[in-house]
Amino acid sequence: MDFTLTEQQEFFKKVIVDTVDKMIVPKAQEIDEKDEFPWDLWKEFTALGYLGLRYPEEIGGMNADKIMCMTFYEEITRGSVGFAQSVIMNILMGTYFIYRFGNDSIKERCLYPAMRGEKIATICFTEDQSGSDLGATRTTAVKDGNGWRINGTKMWITNGPICDFCTVLATTDPSKGLKALNFFLVEKGTPGFSSGQVLNKLGCRGTVTGELVFDNVWIPDENFLGDELGKGVIYVGEILDEVRLMTAAMALGIAKGAYKEGLEFARKRVAFGQPIGNYQLIREKFAEMDTLMNAARLMIYYGAWMMENNMDVRTLAAEAKMFATEVCLKVVDEVTRIYGANAFAHEYTPQRYFRDARFLLYGGGTHEVLKDFIGRNILGKL
Amino acid sequence: MNILVFVKQVADTEARILIKSDNKSLEIENKYNLNFFDEFAVEEAIRLKTKLKESKIIVCTCGGKKAIEALRTAIAMGADQAYLIDNTDMDTEDPLITAKILAGFAKKEGFDIILCGRQAIDDENGAIGPMVAEFLNIPHISAIMKLDVKDEKHMIVERDLEGARQTFEVELPALFTTQKGINEPRVPLITGVMKAMKANIPILDPLTLGFQKEELNNGASKIGVLFYETPKARPPVKIIDGETPQDKAKKLVKLLKEEAKVL
Repeated sequence: MDFTLTEQQEFFKKVIVDTVDKMIVPKAQEIDEKDEFPWDLWKEFTALGYLGLRYPEEIGGMNADKIMCMTFYEEITRGSVGFAQSVIMNILMGTYFIYRFGNDSIKERCLYPAMRGEKIATICFTEDQSGSDLGATRTTAVKDGNGWRINGTKMWITNGPICDFCTVLATTDPSKGLKALNFFLVEKGTPGFSSGQVLNKLGCRGTVTGELVFDNVWIPDENFLGDELGKGVIYVGEILDEVRLMTAAMALGIAKGAYKEGLEFARKRVAFGQPIGNYQLIREKFAEMDTLMNAARLMIYYGAWMMENNMDVRTLAAEAKMFATEVCLKVVDEVTRIYGANAFAHEYTPQRYFRDARFLLYGGGTHEVLKDFIGRNILGKL
Repeated sequence: MNILVFVKQVADTEARILIKSDNKSLEIENKYNLNFFDEFAVEEAIRLKTKLKESKIIVCTCGGKKAIEALRTAIAMGADQAYLIDNTDMDTEDPLITAKILAGFAKKEGFDIILCGRQAIDDENGAIGPMVAEFLNIPHISAIMKLDVKDEKHMIVERDLEGARQTFEVELPALFTTQKGINEPRVPLITGVMKAMKANIPILDPLTLGFQKEELNNGASKIGVLFYETPKARPPVKIIDGETPQDKAKKLVKLLKEEAKVL
């Protein structure tokens, strides 16, 4: 088995590590404390062109392979989760269905500006009563003349309150459950489309997350994003594995950021006459953390490699998401213990990692849902 | 106009560096960067290019195959072409040998201006720039803080002294080494990164630059490392107790006289 990165992948990794260290890491603490969208950083960072990471070069993208994508997700999250969430939303979920199904005019209006960072994108799955259970979606899309009329409320929408356009999951027939789900494009300024409550979150601060309201919103037929009606769930499946591996890579990114802080602290902090890193119980923590992070890394990059080679990665992607997130939770917890009471002060960084890590428990599927999914894939219906 | 930039790949400041058991060599963690001061040289070359007609930036390093990464970084920033001179079989401890090779490359490639960092942050010799200039018999100014074009044959450069700034007019061809503060090195755009990822970087054998094997290979160096040693641990901080500032000052003076023996 060959685990080496190509020279190009190595170089890309180096560039993104340096860019994150230079541009994002110094601002992470401030982003968290202010809990406001960092517009200046957004302009500075998106001007570099990374938002086209996954898309073809012909349309201004980078055509990065899945290994490079995971490297990017991991590193930018190491810098600042609050910022990374917004960036990744524009790169992946917020633009995928526009790229896949949008006509030229929609791409000109939405996709290309989003790839340049001039427009902010999002996707709306979650509602106040449904998350992983997509079949319970209550937002409706009803045919109305040469278009569709959308009604409903979406909750927990990353970038929602500041988005320029959104891809909305809605049912065209509530009695048909999953078989009637479809995606529609709604742009800012469309009558009836507004943002509601902005959430005051425990972590991932800096990302503006909240409610989007669709009150009798009419959109033209071209805003239906799909080949035919009722295939929304199938389309979700096209990016779900990447979303799960991406979430796992984000978890690894948080863990790596926290681990690095812990390492520096263990080397410098002196107790009873010597650096605390000399004590076996502290060394044991690093042995555990490093082992777990390496295991998570192998799962994530193996999954990315499988995806790049068009292999079925559904089970592994769910496992990687679950495992990497649990590893992340363990690492951020251990780092707070290494830091001692300082970890409890907002002036230091461990508390930020500790809060941020919690969000990944829910994004990309709760672990309770994922375990059921994985078990079903293994056992089948008996 | 040909702008040559000589760079070096150095260990990251956070890389773990251990002295090997022979005490003469180092074990360096696999974390390397483009030398801090060379980033300013690459950036200045890119800025210079925008002021000069039909100019080309050629970056070159003398190093192992791994150093290609540093060259790709320079291309991602905006350099046009890069060359690696493979020093795998060479005596690399003597900067004179490296300077000789780089000067050989400059002669072969042709140049109007050569830029490089004022020093590498690993060995901190600060010798390559001046040595290359001497081999090429061209003027050089060290640690420049500003570079302006006067005309196609002259540059105006500034450098800082203690409490003053010196301004020179320099006739080309010339070599300048760059100091921190001359500019703010750019973060590469994705288009630059893609260009760098695809760039074909030729690897040159130093012997093709007009040297004889014995001039460069092991044994050619006139200097050699005897041993490395880690810095001595700092003595613990002593806090001077006393009821009043006057008491503390008296005790401090006594210690400076009797223990430190500096008064």
